[in-house]
Amino acid sequence: MNGTRRWADHVRIILICWRATVAAEFQYQANFLAGLTLSIFWMVWAAAGLAVYFQFTGDLLGWTYPELLVVTGLFFTVNGIRQAVLQPNLQQITEYVRLGTLDFLLTKPADTQLLVTLRRLNVGNLLDPGLGLIFIVVGFVLSDAPVGWNLLTFLLLFATSLLALYALMVLLMAMAVHLIGGTELQQIAYGAVELARFPVQLYRDPFQAVLTVVPVVLLTTLPAEALLGRLSPYWLVAGPAITAVSLVVSRLAWLRVLRAYSGASA
Amino acid sequence: MAETVASIAALTRAAATTATAYRGRLLAGLLTTFFPLLLMAVWLTVVATSGPPRGWTAPDFISYYAAASLLWHLSGQNVIWQWDEDIRGGDFSIRLLRPVHPFWQYAANDLGQRLVMLGLAAPVFVAATLVLPQLGYHLTAVRLLATVVAVLLAYAVSITMASLVALLGFWSTQTTNLWMLWWGLGSFASGWIAPLEVMPGWLRSTAEWLPFRTTMGFPVELMTGRLSAAETAFGFAVGLGWLALFTVLYLVVWKPGVRRHQAVGG
Amino acid sequence: MAIDVDALVKRFFVNRRSPGLRSSIRHVLRPERHEVTALSGVSFRMTQGEIVGFLGPNGAGKTSLLKCLSGLLHPTEGSARVLGHVPHRREPAFLRQISLVMGQRNSLFWDLPALDAYEVNRTIYQIPRREYTESLDELVELLRLQSLLRKPVRVLSLGERMRCELAGALLHRPRVLFLDEPTLGLDVTAQSAVRSFLADYNRRYGATILLTSHYMADVTALASRVIVIDHGTLRFDGDLTTLTRRYADHRVVKVRLTERAPLGALDVDTVTDDGLTVSLRVSTDDVPAVAARVLAVLPVEDLSIEEPPIDEVVRAVFADG
Repeated sequence: MNGTRRWADHVRIILICWRATVAAEFQYQANFLAGLTLSIFWMVWAAAGLAVYFQFTGDLLGWTYPELLVVTGLFFTVNGIRQAVLQPNLQQITEYVRLGTLDFLLTKPADTQLLVTLRRLNVGNLLDPGLGLIFIVVGFVLSDAPVGWNLLTFLLLFATSLLALYALMVLLMAMAVHLIGGTELQQIAYGAVELARFPVQLYRDPFQAVLTVVPVVLLTTLPAEALLGRLSPYWLVAGPAITAVSLVVSRLAWLRVLRAYSGASA
Repeated sequence: MAETVASIAALTRAAATTATAYRGRLLAGLLTTFFPLLLMAVWLTVVATSGPPRGWTAPDFISYYAAASLLWHLSGQNVIWQWDEDIRGGDFSIRLLRPVHPFWQYAANDLGQRLVMLGLAAPVFVAATLVLPQLGYHLTAVRLLATVVAVLLAYAVSITMASLVALLGFWSTQTTNLWMLWWGLGSFASGWIAPLEVMPGWLRSTAEWLPFRTTMGFPVELMTGRLSAAETAFGFAVGLGWLALFTVLYLVVWKPGVRRHQAVGG
Repeated sequence: MAIDVDALVKRFFVNRRSPGLRSSIRHVLRPERHEVTALSGVSFRMTQGEIVGFLGPNGAGKTSLLKCLSGLLHPTEGSARVLGHVPHRREPAFLRQISLVMGQRNSLFWDLPALDAYEVNRTIYQIPRREYTESLDELVELLRLQSLLRKPVRVLSLGERMRCELAGALLHRPRVLFLDEPTLGLDVTAQSAVRSFLADYNRRYGATILLTSHYMADVTALASRVIVIDHGTLRFDGDLTTLTRRYADHRVVKVRLTERAPLGALDVDTVTDDGLTVSLRVSTDDVPAVAARVLAVLPVEDLSIEEPPIDEVVRAVFADG
């Protein structure tokens, strides 16, 4: 009796182990497939979520469904880059400060800002920008927007958007060195990008005004308007200008923090 | 039995103390309360442009989403992340060595954090109801009691559901991704994307039978006075049913799960 | 018998996979499983109050053994009984009588003072108030924790953390204590503090202690009985002196010179030569002759004859395989 019981246990355990091995085989593939599935899922989820509003209306303050798809696509692109670039490097910098790696980086002949902001890359999250592009294209095609100069202005405003995100990142990095508090800063980045899920007009005043001053509008609203051919001349100039200023301001903040840091550890 | 309760209380207290140790993190967590309000803002735009969808006016949406923001903090999903982290890092063994079932250890850990968050968010909520005229809940004593019970049930279902998915961590490394998929799908049925009344009829009917509504939509609908006595009873019955089912499933899956962990090693 | 292990076998199945997409695909179709045997038929017994040191290189199976005995792993074959219980059943009554401390692994709350974790343990292990206070006071005294208890664990040094961990593990006065590399990463002072504490604790409470380490000093300080495990098999089970006598065929003659001198004339193996300090490896029979020669030929300030480092002895045990 005891012998058969042990034998059955034995067999069962081996089966568990074999199953475990097969499952473990898929681990790396599993991570990749899971990431891809989830990315596609979130895009479908966003598209479906938008559709709920459109049960009751044909457009939201002048934004039709395909046009909102463009915004959603841009959101995924910006969010994907946030996860691929901003998140890992921001996470690292608190480590650098704690372990003293920042000192080491400061001695390198390359610009520390570049080193620190672009050192790490979560390649897996680069799927999202790719998928986002699909939405942008589909939305654009379905929206009957003209094809002409707007493509160029789109590229300009898209670049502006990415640079604005970069400026935000540098600012957060500077805060991280100064405050040494990583998680909260990640939340700021996350929240700022989440706000860009919808075009700012949908929030209406007073929120719309706030989000235009705090340049969330740069991230998705302006590039979308550019692509759809309805970007006002004001924003065509103001957008890139604000971004340029942000880049300068954040760089200055970074340099200031570095100077304080080096002084502090001397 | 009494010892288990005492152990849970002790663990909860420790978790709550840990949560209060990091004010920055608390603040960041509190800031995420605005996410439901983003969705609300778009609904308010729908109301402003094409009239109340299915009779839901602006104050209706505001009351709904304000309550939803509170319930947003009552999700049990931290269990998934903590469990996953422990199994990957090998700290799960420590949980197994304690003479308290890991379910209670993780639940207590989550509860501690929740209590702290609610401790901060609830007063703000109450103050808002007193100050803002749009937030009219018109709670009778009976409805208040029912709401409290519904909120407790919401947390219980959320925790058991999350713990059940966390168990899959014995076999899969993808539990966090699985959970996000589950949550994403559930967000349509829970009343998160939109109040269920505003969703297409087929979705509303299906959602009434699913556990997701129990975790958010049901208590909020109860609180905003939209449910008849019969509908309330039905909601409780569905919620309790799911709680029972998840509990049974957990007990069934636990034994082979922990056996597998013991076979394969931490 | 506090511990009864009979022909314990523990096998894992591990993937072996070469990099590259093609081999990944091939593996999906025909997985290459590689069997790792952590323990192959280990047997021994321990009485209550014994201290046994488990020695062996990394990957020898020591940690797997401790995990099997504390219920974290399910044996593949064979049996283990601790205090009459079957460990992998993880009965609460069993868990309340044991404790497992793993070096560099933290069971205290990272952001809170150790005292908070102790309070939680008091409840979880159902320690009566009076006994808890007595245990705590005693442990605080023995491990000198007075100034550490109220600081968050994360600000403590590794050695301080280990001492707090130990206290936390012993509050419920477990009858069996499993220690997996408890002094790993600690500085010399902390190591010796931990060792003397454990010896003292065993004297007072008669706790059975199983200790794995690859620091010989841990074992020599604490355990009279030593079990050597290599590649999952038990190579030696007995006391240290027997171990040394059986496997050490040489001694180390340590010489401190007053000035540098050539050593060639000695005709022995030089183990280390720091200029002024020289260690010579001499087979046991030759020791008197060599010592005499050294004193005659070299400018000696001090000379001592030592047992070989036990690592070498243990290595010799493995080589004997």
